[in-house]
Amino acid sequence: MRKKDLVKDNPLVDVAAYLFLEDIADKQGAAGMNTYLMSLAAALARSMPEEEYESWEDFVEALKNGDSALSTFEEVGMPTKHCVVTVESPFLRGWQEYTKRIGNFASIHYEVADYYNSTVKPGAIDSQDIIIQTYRAEMAKRITVEGNQLRVAHIATVAPDGTKKVAPDEWLPILLEKAGISQTMLNMIMRNNASVWIVYTE
Amino acid sequence: MLDVALVSLIQDMSEKAGVEGTIQYWLRVGENLARRMGKEAYMGWPSFNVALREGRTAFSIEGDVTALTDLAITDVDGDVVGYIYALRECVFNPTITRIRYSVGEVPEADRLVAEEYNNSIRDTAVCNFCVIHQKFRDEVAKNITVAGQQLESYQLADRGFTGETKIDRPNLKKIGVNEEYVRSLLRNYACVYAIIMHGARLKGEEEES
Repeated sequence: MRKKDLVKDNPLVDVAAYLFLEDIADKQGAAGMNTYLMSLAAALARSMPEEEYESWEDFVEALKNGDSALSTFEEVGMPTKHCVVTVESPFLRGWQEYTKRIGNFASIHYEVADYYNSTVKPGAIDSQDIIIQTYRAEMAKRITVEGNQLRVAHIATVAPDGTKKVAPDEWLPILLEKAGISQTMLNMIMRNNASVWIVYTE
Repeated sequence: MLDVALVSLIQDMSEKAGVEGTIQYWLRVGENLARRMGKEAYMGWPSFNVALREGRTAFSIEGDVTALTDLAITDVDGDVVGYIYALRECVFNPTITRIRYSVGEVPEADRLVAEEYNNSIRDTAVCNFCVIHQKFRDEVAKNITVAGQQLESYQLADRGFTGETKIDRPNLKKIGVNEEYVRSLLRNYACVYAIIMHGARLKGEEEES
């Protein structure tokens, strides 16, 4: 199975899924939609097999090659040992199809991100970020490297329209230090990537 | 990724709301999707078929659809009232492949939802997504006019990921197309349907009445 086929979106199914989520939001509001998005991502992570790696190098290799469940749905690069960049959002094709066929991405997708940012973690621009960030965090719980549980933290995300969301100022220096990149490097990375995150073990 | 995530939720949803609940959800999604696409109007069949080929109609979100223009459907007076269309690849197949190579296997709820749909609504589903997809087509057709006439979609045949086929014999009889011919189309296409002018007096229907 070619990696790029696995990453490729499915427009009709994706657009239908967006409308399913909007239908839920109509009934349960942003809070209900947020719960649904997080359970959706957590259920997906739970359905994946657990992973263990003997060394950090083995894990990095698997992550870069798309062999780890953490990078099954996205094409990633690693500018440093702990910093991961997602080249293109795994939702891009579905989002493009939605905006082409239906119109503006419904406002509830942004409202739910505001809810997530204020109640869970400040890192989402829209509903898609809630899914991917929850998935990464839940999937990390199922991976061990050198016997230690993997951890994930999010530094920045860039929406398909170019909107950026960077971690709060008080967290940023710590995250950048863990990532092994400077603020200038972060800005350079954000120019042509969809998200920047870190992987580490305690 | 969203599609794979959604499928991983079907099992949970079907356990909580029952497969009937999932079907009701999916029917509403198909209906909403068609409604949000908006209305379309075409001067005649040639302009509709060109729009379809160029990916300009709401139907085009399905993927590579071919208008089988050698298969015009005529009414009792011999006027062309529709055509048969064929989709190269089932829209759900890429998702199934991705599930196979990421999660491992498609949840059982996929089959249960399709079976319940076949028993309670119409016997044409080969997977759970057929529920959304076929409803979507039915509703999209209602939003399109050709020469001022509203359209109607008739599901004819489809082939699932594992080769299982479903053929809607009553619909084939209505439009007067041979079952074996449609079965042969499934060798090269995943889903075959007809788009017809709503209210057309079809030969098969006249014979039945």
